[in-house]
Amino acid sequence: MTTITTEPAGASSPGSGGGGWKPSALRRRGSRRRAPYGVLLSCAVLLLVLAWSLAPGLFTRQDPAHGVPADAFQGPSTAHWFGTDHLGRDEFSRVVHGSASSVTSALVAVAIGVLVGGLIGLLAGFLGGWVDVTLARVVDVLLAIPSFLLAVVVVSALGFETINAAIATGVSAVAVFARVMRSEVLKTRRAVFVEASLLLGGSRWHVLVRHVLPNASRSVLNLAVLQFGLSILVIAGLAFLGYGDPPPASDWGLLVSSGKDYPLAPWLVYAPALVTIATVLSANRISRWLRNAD
Amino acid sequence: MGATRQLPRRTSRPYLTYAVQRVVQAVVVVLLAYCFTFLVISVLPGDPVTATLRNPQNNFTEEEVQRIVAYYGLDRPVWVQLWEALSRFVQGDLGVSLRSNLPVSQLIGDVLGSTVVLAVTALVVALVLAFAIAYGTRNAPAPVAKALRAFPSLFLSVPNFVIGLLLINVFAFQLGLFQVIDSEGPAATFFAAVALGIPVSAQVAEVLIANLDHEARQDYAGFATSRGLSRSRLFWRHLLKPSSLPVVTVIALTVGELLGGALITETIFGRTGIGSLVQRSVTTQDLPVLQAVVVLAAVVFVVVNLVVDLVYPLLDPRVDLRGAARAPRTPTEQPLETTQGASA
Amino acid sequence: MAPQRRLSSTAPDPAGQPLLRVQDLSVSYGGHQVVDRVSFDLPRGHSLALIGESGSGKSTIARSVLRLLPAGVGRATGTVELQGQDVLALPERHFRPLRGRTIGFVPQDPSSSLNPVRTIGSQAREASALLRDDAGRELDGAAQRRAVVDVLARVGLDDPERVLASYPHQLSGGMLQRVLIGLAVLPQPALIVADEPTSALDVTIQKRILDLLTDLRDSLDISMLLITHDLAIAAERADSVVVLKDGTVQESGPTSRVSTEPTSAYAQRLHDDVPALNPDRYADLRAVGEARRADPASAPKIEVRGVTKTFAVHGSELTAVDDLSFSVPAGTTHAIVGESGSGKTTTIRLLLGLETPDAGEIVVAGERVDGRSHAELRSVRRHLQFVYQNPFTSLDPTWKVERLVREPLDRFKVGDKAARRDAVREALDAVGLDHALLSRRPDALSGGQRQRVAIARALVLRPDVIVLDEPTSALDVSVQADIVQVLLRLQAELGLTYVFVSHDLALVRQLAHTVSVVRRGRVVEDGTVERIFDAPREDYTRTLLASIPDAGTARRPVLAERAS
Repeated sequence: MTTITTEPAGASSPGSGGGGWKPSALRRRGSRRRAPYGVLLSCAVLLLVLAWSLAPGLFTRQDPAHGVPADAFQGPSTAHWFGTDHLGRDEFSRVVHGSASSVTSALVAVAIGVLVGGLIGLLAGFLGGWVDVTLARVVDVLLAIPSFLLAVVVVSALGFETINAAIATGVSAVAVFARVMRSEVLKTRRAVFVEASLLLGGSRWHVLVRHVLPNASRSVLNLAVLQFGLSILVIAGLAFLGYGDPPPASDWGLLVSSGKDYPLAPWLVYAPALVTIATVLSANRISRWLRNAD
Repeated sequence: MGATRQLPRRTSRPYLTYAVQRVVQAVVVVLLAYCFTFLVISVLPGDPVTATLRNPQNNFTEEEVQRIVAYYGLDRPVWVQLWEALSRFVQGDLGVSLRSNLPVSQLIGDVLGSTVVLAVTALVVALVLAFAIAYGTRNAPAPVAKALRAFPSLFLSVPNFVIGLLLINVFAFQLGLFQVIDSEGPAATFFAAVALGIPVSAQVAEVLIANLDHEARQDYAGFATSRGLSRSRLFWRHLLKPSSLPVVTVIALTVGELLGGALITETIFGRTGIGSLVQRSVTTQDLPVLQAVVVLAAVVFVVVNLVVDLVYPLLDPRVDLRGAARAPRTPTEQPLETTQGASA
Repeated sequence: MAPQRRLSSTAPDPAGQPLLRVQDLSVSYGGHQVVDRVSFDLPRGHSLALIGESGSGKSTIARSVLRLLPAGVGRATGTVELQGQDVLALPERHFRPLRGRTIGFVPQDPSSSLNPVRTIGSQAREASALLRDDAGRELDGAAQRRAVVDVLARVGLDDPERVLASYPHQLSGGMLQRVLIGLAVLPQPALIVADEPTSALDVTIQKRILDLLTDLRDSLDISMLLITHDLAIAAERADSVVVLKDGTVQESGPTSRVSTEPTSAYAQRLHDDVPALNPDRYADLRAVGEARRADPASAPKIEVRGVTKTFAVHGSELTAVDDLSFSVPAGTTHAIVGESGSGKTTTIRLLLGLETPDAGEIVVAGERVDGRSHAELRSVRRHLQFVYQNPFTSLDPTWKVERLVREPLDRFKVGDKAARRDAVREALDAVGLDHALLSRRPDALSGGQRQRVAIARALVLRPDVIVLDEPTSALDVSVQADIVQVLLRLQAELGLTYVFVSHDLALVRQLAHTVSVVRRGRVVEDGTVERIFDAPREDYTRTLLASIPDAGTARRPVLAERAS
């Protein structure tokens, strides 16, 4: 899924038609606001899901791969928080163990995007010239190919594993990060304080590493959080269609896909769906807060 | 006194230079996209095409294998294969399906119609929805406006397959408004378009709302209000145009998402379109078909964005084409040197 | 003098009540009190200036009168009576008809006050739609257009039809401001609120715009509420004055009294800080440099000879600097004065080696600057430092103050870590900043503090020459006064040479010893400050001097005052 983020236009609170004027007595107040509760809640959710992916055993004792057939299709209860599936497996346990591949693969995708895309953007923005033109065409190509399709092709060629889907998603994300990094580098390069540093005896290398990079990275960080959420959606979609780890793996998308065949047990679809939604929503919330805090 | 600064005409020369540059870039990108997909498949470990051919489960006769090997030049170096494939491509030949021996272009042509109908309907739905949400955030009573602001983020957080399943569950199974069996019928198409369009509408709505907020904060909005304009008149006469023009470029970027999302939506709603073709080809490991679909998607993306890039400067007077080879974008977006230019 | 005229204009309104009466107006934003119980009267046909620095609440008061406060955030209490009617209490739909028709608004920044994607003409139609004929009906299209063309001609635009067909970005700042003023007076409002209407404009244009406003006021009998930070402008243009600080009224009364004999301490300080009203404030400090300049034995520290620079812009050539020369004796301040487009910024960029001249030579402290590479200039830059105009963009927002001021020492590898630490602290002391600020980032500092950090950063290497590009134009007048004092003190103590770019001649008079007046890249006139001010030879110089607002000559051109 392509990311279309907007240029940070400041706080998204609705203003009157009275223009953007604010009394200057207030303008000077530092931007250190305390994070609103929504953001704190979002952080908590993400940390929880991250913990699930790193140490699933801490959160559930039940076996995600094997179940007691007699217990099949039980609704949510104290014994099974998310109910059981058609093989009597505990759904909560399956979701928790599924987060390992869902979340880790999203992190891999974002990591590839940030590192490779960031580097490309940095080089293109700082060096300019033919380097910029060439890299821009490369980025165009990556942008033109829908990430979902690319992932399908790569997965069918490399093998049906979630990690391959992650790599493919990461390759598509490179384009997005490259462009943001490039535009940030261009913007920062023109900044007055960069020229000031040159006058103060700074070398171009010093300016790049100590001034341009720290300032350009703020937007990239915000984008990384957003892209994390989007990667989860893409990878879930791929898993839904079967382009991920095969059963008995419990990727969230796969859980929804298998759950939809049993309409009498709606919790099999709702549970993984809601967990996915909550995770991505949290990532979006944090990303928006980061963007407005700039 | 008050010497008039020279008022520049929108001369055709900068535009012509710019247009030619964009077209050349677009062509380059399409060719590169073809090479990219070709190389991705060729250099992947395990030589998938040969593996497919040699796989006893796929039942290729030796004669078929030889023919295919000869056609694709699989026994020759990768660069030669690429060159030949590229030459075939620019002549319109997308290769031959490994499975059915039919030209890939024919296979795609058979199913393209359904996908196009779905995608276009989805885009229309998305735009209407996005505009309605954006309008509401500025003109509805305060609690409604505030709630509407949360919609785009919410829509963007729900996987499109969940939306699809939900729509089917509610509108087909419970309300009986359409039949999943009749997947190509208008009702089913509409709901499939909604499922496909909602994530796109969320992105467009977000950009539109952000632009409206940005424009409302500009000095001219305050000045217009000081001259007695009402909120609604301010919206229609002043805020709408500068806010929606940049959205056109955003829409061009969502084309890829429509094509990718169609895959899932067609599967869920049981439609036969590009999506089902892809699914079939994946199952049978028919890589030439997959490659062709990917390239086709890239071509559509490039063409749509090229058209937008060429038309946009004519619509928005803020754009200055004279600044070298930059993709002109409005002041709220960064100028970038790419064919598909809006900021990410 | 003026008093007779003023008295007649303050004759009470026949109806007995002032046009605008503000009583106990208080505005708070989320718990923070921005305006606190402000009261004043504005009689009909009168002009009143609200003076204050940033954060004084003057703009908030103006916007409260117009009810243009950001919705849901600002809460205003008190009464604002317009023609006897309390407008604060009115619901929005009853107040809206007053906007534009009864109260007009002239905003600060003309270039952003018109919709950039629509032509001027289509926006002017919104103003002309407010007009009514004698029967109270809206005028027809042709009549509206005629009215608009008339008013644009009235405000001094040569080709109104062409202006109407243009987009905002195609017109200059001065022209746009005339358009805005035209649109504001078109419906013939009783009151115009002007929020710093000239601070975004060049100094000669400022004078013309203010003259225009005064002229319109007199001929159309419109009252004016003028918001400004510039006491000198208020002294020249307003009948009465209200001095604000932190949302409260410090002093109010007729301008003639307040500007010459202020009673409150704040107004007194404000008066003292205005360069135009106190040209000889720093005479003692300045005298040290003056002695150096007058000393025939002192060699020039900076020599610029016949420098020319052209740029290629959008296919055409722009000559930014044309055969410019000046020289600066060591230990003195040389000012370069000009308006926008004069080439003064290009000149100092050439001086710093950031641009290469097409012709001419630049010598700083005996070393050539022109035509040398970045690496070669390093040794020169050790002794040639620069302070930028905008303190909000010249400091890296991710760095702390300590690191910012230490950067030149680190880059030039001066001394060891301990020595650098001490040098940083010394530099902060020199500019009068507290050491507690060392661990803060720029966004926690005010504009004045940031600029002092920038000056400290320029000082820390102990350079011979500091070039300053309008270092105080973004700052309040009292902050400006502090910084000027710092600069002069350092020059007296350390023998620094300054090249000071400015558009503010009054400031130049306080600070500089020699001046070059530039226009369109050429030197119009140069010489000592005394000579330029007392006996200007060129018309342009005279025009610039006339643009300095002068308290003692309200409503009369300064030119007539200076009987030469």
